Amino acid sequence: MTRLRGRWSNPWGKPRFLVLFTALYLVWSIVPILVAIRFSFNEGRSRSTAQGWSLRWYSGDPDLSVLHDPGLSTALLQSLRLAAIAVLVTVPLGVALAIGLTRWRGRGAGTSRAVSLATLVTPEIVMGTALLLVFIHVLTFIKLGTVAQAIGHITFSLVFVLVIVRGRLLAIGPEYEEAARDLGASALQAVRLALLPMLVPAIVASGIVVFAISMDDFVITQFLSSGTNTDTVPVRIYSQGRTAPTPALNALAALTLGITIAIAALAFVLWRAVRAARGQTGSALHEFATLDADTIR
Amino acid sequence: MSEPERADVGGGSDNAFWAGFALPGVAWLCLFFLLPFYVILCIALGTVDPIFQTPAPEWNPLRWNTSAFEFVLESLFTSGAAFQTVFVRTFVYVTIATALSLVIAYPVAYYVARYGGRWKGVLLVGLIAPFFISYLMRMLAWINLLQDDGWVNDVLIWAGILNAPRNWLDGRASSVILGLVYGYVPFMILPLYAFLDRIDRSLLEAARDLGASPFQAFRRVTLPLSMPAILAGIVIIALPMFGDYYTPDLLSGSPQTSMIGNQINLYIRGGQQIPVGAALVVVLMLFLTVLMGYYLVSTARAQRRLGR
Amino acid sequence: MATFHPRESRYPRREFLQRGAAGAFAFSSMGTLLAACGGGDNGEFRPPELQLARPDNPVTHPLFDDNPMIASGLDPEGGTLRIYNWNGYLWPRIKKDFAKEYGVKVEETFFSTVDEAIAKISSGAVDFDVFFPTVDRVSRLVVGKTLQPLNRDYLSSLGNVWPSLQDPWYDKGSQYTVPYVTWTTGIGYRTDKVSTTPESLANPYEIYWDQANKGRLFLLDDSRDAIGHMLLKNGISDINTENPDEIELAKGELKSLIGAVNVKLSTDDYTNLPEGKAWVHQMWSGSAVSAQYYLPEGVGADALGFWFPPDGGGTIGSDLMAVPKSAKNPVLAHHFLNYLLDEKHGYDNFVNYVGYQPPFTKLDPDRLVADGVVPANLKTAVVRQSDFDTGYVQTELTPSGQTLWQNAWAEFKAGV
Repeated sequence: MTRLRGRWSNPWGKPRFLVLFTALYLVWSIVPILVAIRFSFNEGRSRSTAQGWSLRWYSGDPDLSVLHDPGLSTALLQSLRLAAIAVLVTVPLGVALAIGLTRWRGRGAGTSRAVSLATLVTPEIVMGTALLLVFIHVLTFIKLGTVAQAIGHITFSLVFVLVIVRGRLLAIGPEYEEAARDLGASALQAVRLALLPMLVPAIVASGIVVFAISMDDFVITQFLSSGTNTDTVPVRIYSQGRTAPTPALNALAALTLGITIAIAALAFVLWRAVRAARGQTGSALHEFATLDADTIR
Repeated sequence: MSEPERADVGGGSDNAFWAGFALPGVAWLCLFFLLPFYVILCIALGTVDPIFQTPAPEWNPLRWNTSAFEFVLESLFTSGAAFQTVFVRTFVYVTIATALSLVIAYPVAYYVARYGGRWKGVLLVGLIAPFFISYLMRMLAWINLLQDDGWVNDVLIWAGILNAPRNWLDGRASSVILGLVYGYVPFMILPLYAFLDRIDRSLLEAARDLGASPFQAFRRVTLPLSMPAILAGIVIIALPMFGDYYTPDLLSGSPQTSMIGNQINLYIRGGQQIPVGAALVVVLMLFLTVLMGYYLVSTARAQRRLGR
Repeated sequence: MATFHPRESRYPRREFLQRGAAGAFAFSSMGTLLAACGGGDNGEFRPPELQLARPDNPVTHPLFDDNPMIASGLDPEGGTLRIYNWNGYLWPRIKKDFAKEYGVKVEETFFSTVDEAIAKISSGAVDFDVFFPTVDRVSRLVVGKTLQPLNRDYLSSLGNVWPSLQDPWYDKGSQYTVPYVTWTTGIGYRTDKVSTTPESLANPYEIYWDQANKGRLFLLDDSRDAIGHMLLKNGISDINTENPDEIELAKGELKSLIGAVNVKLSTDDYTNLPEGKAWVHQMWSGSAVSAQYYLPEGVGADALGFWFPPDGGGTIGSDLMAVPKSAKNPVLAHHFLNYLLDEKHGYDNFVNYVGYQPPFTKLDPDRLVADGVVPANLKTAVVRQSDFDTGYVQTELTPSGQTLWQNAWAEFKAGV
């Protein structure tokens, strides 16, 4: 048995090929970003030649830096605004949806499940077009702009909360609620007191995912925008990226990335603290990677 | 692998209670997801205001005007016509990009899941990082490297592969396909990783006990087991890829690489023939629904073969 | 004074849409007046008509009772002036100075296509005080009551404009619009990169097919301009043609460019050419003027060239300013229009930022070259008053004509 185990850990000899392959992939995936961040600190105007280091494009340049160019700073603020709204609305809505869809039986349940998952595979241009036409021709009281964009973001990211929370629900199983019911709790109390606390890691993870998706969204935001004051960072990058952009664009993207990571890290740290206080264990990162075949069905 | 849902969970007298939980979410999706589809249909089958050429949706099915659909379908099924060319081209790009993504994603996911060991946390961060970086920012960074004076040309010239800088952004299909791969491959890695991470090792050990070589164990146990995850990964990236229009826009200004998303964009935002754009969207969604149906059938079949 | 157009329907627009939906595509033969027949359940009413203005068919737009102009002598409102414009088409300093002078805030929103802008304004989804339409959309904007008639009492600076544009054929009496800038569409090129210049060719448009520029040829990503040049190349001077054969021909020419020189499309002509991405670029005159500011170090403005038919027989256009009916600050909007029509402000806007010139009488090519605004080798990029009389203006098409153009364009863009 020990000999088998020994061979098991090295069935291909050393997995040199896989190591190399993975390393190459990570380099290919991440290095361009690092390069872009490097050039955001460029002293000169170039985005491809190293020209010293400075904070010029972040705050120094009086006209073109992120701080002083109203187009760029409003884009950042709008991104944050939409992401905040998206998280605040989508997470509760999605958690309730996940709980309901996992436990609900019957014909309605199956259809609802299918509909909920359908947004995952709908191209954004389809959803963007659909919502644009709806807001212009049907629900005309909703003007294009922040509200319309927020609605689009919520609709689009709901499914991610659903899948992450549902994955955890399926893994948890019903024992805890049953125990609570046995001890006299009503169904609602059982959910609130026994189930929800166990879902907290999934809820936090889904919140972070919604935040990231919302910050990243391009098509829906562009379609439902009412003008430059409702442009977000990705829309700005797209519209300015093809002309002669300055490194301020890199700076904007780097700032966005920094903020997203900071918020994710903050949520993660808080959650770890809560878990430690409750004496729970387990790996955090695995919450993210729960998107698999079973939960999609 | 996640446990199958147990029959004694949910349902029964509490069914209405659970349905109530799902209600707000379902209502939201009906209003902002299903209703818009009906609106698109009614616009595709509607008419156009003669003054502003803005679309006038026709809500009454009895008065639907099929001229937009006729136009789209005619161009779709006539050999050499615009929509057929673009559609076929999009299909080819998506197929190649998805296949390439799978070829890249599977080994990476496999490595991290099986051999991650101490580094697993760090590697996972590396895999998840692209989610936090805006697609456009990554594309912009990538384009920057592909410029005439960018690093890609510099490295290739230094390595002796190229003699002079090559223009990668002048309308090549390869640039667009690789751009699609670059953008979408992270979305395939995570589901594959999640699945491979949970494979029951004892199954593989049993195969080895029965005399299988490592490669045979992989081919006859791991790979078939991963089929549902592979199919899910394909669906997750291929279907949205069909609607992509900004990747060809950014990486190539040429009409030769335009995808169906570009045509939809042209008609929806081009002012005059929004019903045609709406009809294109409907046709695209029908096509994707067929693909989705194929996926569901294949998954069911794969599950049955695995005895679940 | 509101006058009633003799054939105007008495029904408000919304009712018309509900009734006339079915037969919307039936039109009478091409002519100067377009009658949209409502084929609905009762055909007794006549909807408003689109008038297609042409240089030889000037149009006086109707004034409507329910769309009055503002009264004279009112004070400008406070608050925020909201402008709806193309991107990069208005100098930020102008907005700041205007805001300071009037004690208001100025906000600008951009649109990328005029149809998108019109769809959003006419649907009421957005409301702005100042709008910048194009000549080829005026008629439908007027008929759809999207613009309000202008009160000339507030627009004293209109006198700075070329006389022919103070009373233009597309809006006699400048009732709804005033001119903003004029431009021509010519061919820009890098003198230091091309082996043949357009001037040296018998048919200058042939430069597009020059193999030496393969991979470096850009056309404007604009259906009217790109197709327009293909028509002109073949000697068809009616760039508003609705003749399917001519449009087919233009489409074929466009497609041939794909195979011949790997043509690309862009509207960033003002950076593509100076950056060297493009060696030959179909170009707007204003871009030619502002391109000099995007040249990399070491490359002088003499590296840029711009060709426009010397006899003035090329594409020419004009962008306008107007006040939407739904404007919340119409008086302030009028003051803004007047501000831009002022000689100094219009000139500053042009030379410092936009690069597109206002059609002012006092501006002529020689003065601009003398001022150092326009390099001598780009003198052709300055629009002369005579050009507007000899040039071919992009004007309004009938809906079926637009469909023909759009389908041809979509087919080209599909890369078939």
